Amino acid sequence: MARTVASPTIVPPAQSELRALAPEPTGVAILGARAIELARVGHELYSVFVRTLYYCARGRREPGAILQQMYEIGNRSVFFLTVVMGFIGMILVFQAGLQAKRVVPDLTLLGATYLELLIRDLAASIGALMLATRVGAGIAAEIGSMVVTEQVDALRMTAADPIDYLVKPRFIASVLMTTCLIIWSAAVAFGSGMITAYTAFDVQPRTFMNMSLVDAGDLTIGLAKCVAYGAAIPVVSAHSGLSTFGGSEGVGWATTRAVVNSSLAVIMLNMFISAAGFLVFPG
Amino acid sequence: MPETKKATQAAGEAFLMITETVGGMGVLAGRIVARLATLNVDGAEVWRNLYRMGVKSIPIVIVTALFTGAIMVIQAAPLVERYGAHGLLGWGAGFGTLREIAPLLTALMINGRVGANNTAELGTMVVTEQIDALRVLAIDPISFLIAPRFIAIVTTLLLSTIFADALALFGAAYSGLGLLGVAPGVFYNGLTSGLLGIGDVLGGLVKSIVFGIVMALASCQYGLGVTGGAPGVGKAVNATVVASAAGIFILDYVVSFMLD
Repeated sequence: MARTVASPTIVPPAQSELRALAPEPTGVAILGARAIELARVGHELYSVFVRTLYYCARGRREPGAILQQMYEIGNRSVFFLTVVMGFIGMILVFQAGLQAKRVVPDLTLLGATYLELLIRDLAASIGALMLATRVGAGIAAEIGSMVVTEQVDALRMTAADPIDYLVKPRFIASVLMTTCLIIWSAAVAFGSGMITAYTAFDVQPRTFMNMSLVDAGDLTIGLAKCVAYGAAIPVVSAHSGLSTFGGSEGVGWATTRAVVNSSLAVIMLNMFISAAGFLVFPG
Repeated sequence: MPETKKATQAAGEAFLMITETVGGMGVLAGRIVARLATLNVDGAEVWRNLYRMGVKSIPIVIVTALFTGAIMVIQAAPLVERYGAHGLLGWGAGFGTLREIAPLLTALMINGRVGANNTAELGTMVVTEQIDALRVLAIDPISFLIAPRFIAIVTTLLLSTIFADALALFGAAYSGLGLLGVAPGVFYNGLTSGLLGIGDVLGGLVKSIVFGIVMALASCQYGLGVTGGAPGVGKAVNATVVASAAGIFILDYVVSFMLD
């Protein structure tokens, strides 16, 4: 972790002297430490995921908490997602139109191709990257603050597993609301794309609204991505939040890590699901 | 009627908050430019921040770029198969990557890592009254803390985007080989055959500079405005990443239209 100007006041003097005396790891040692760290985080993520699934099946029933999280994750992201997806729809159609005009002057298939790409990949992936930013940072900041103020320890003291109380409602809410939000964001991006195609390239909305290229394979891949991202974001962010340590600086670090790791999770899942989808539904 | 009043009230409050933030970013930008114009910037801090923000971000830039290149090829694959246009794969994947996807995804990842971290650090300093301590010592917080971070973030994003462009094309070429059997030579040929100019690359780099400026201003502005201990820092980080992401997409649209 990078040291900050803030750190000399936070690290006690004895500890920082020890750190100066300890030999810096070099070469293979760094690589090994990184590999061990990666394996450890992977195992912890797996453990959080499995325990969340267990409590989804066997845990307490608390529809109130899930509804509240659905409001936090879903309704409060609608405005942000609408703005971002509206702009991304305009950009994508504009760029695709420019690209297509360099080889073929005919733009009648622009809408059909755009809709296929949107459903198969872009709506889910860009929407989920935005949700990873907003929802992931929110979950990590909230749980991280609870860890720092020892509320999570208090939960453990009363024999309540924080995974059951904190992670499970967010997990269920996120899987449901990510799917809804991504369907909405596909609609917004398609609408703003249609307007751009009309104003910039004179493509009539009737021509643009062409669903002939969308088939069951595209829908399956799109929905599989929604569910996978919806499950990955809360698990990765909650893990970052639960492993917070060290005051307000720690909460900041946990939030940063949640955003980076859940974005990376979205990009990696995207590649694996896309590649699998291409092999299962070619063309 | 009371419900509509509530809605308009909420909209008005949101509008005021957005204008306040944007105005604050403008004022901050003015102060930073004043320090940069008079070269009143702490050089050692610039180097330290460049190392912390730039060099330490290299792993996530590599992973993001390689996966992005692969995804672009996978998405172009059905189109290429449908029309049998294997020679155009390099152009198809390269156009989107260089002009749009590489600058955008690199900015989003750096936003998560550097922007959020910057807010968290500045926020912690505000909460623990270290900024006040700097003022007491007659050290200007803008030229010691903010201006070096601004330079470091903008430089980091520009260099990372150049790096990501190259790596994404590398990833795309080899996933084209693995998935479609298109030789990397054919892929690079499609890239350089004249349909894609240096203007497309420069357009992407202009975008990355704009994104860097927004990200730096937003993260410093939210960091300096933190109130209320550890939960306040968490909320500020959350607000920063959301505001920077929205700003990045809106400016992406503006720059895309202005360049063509």
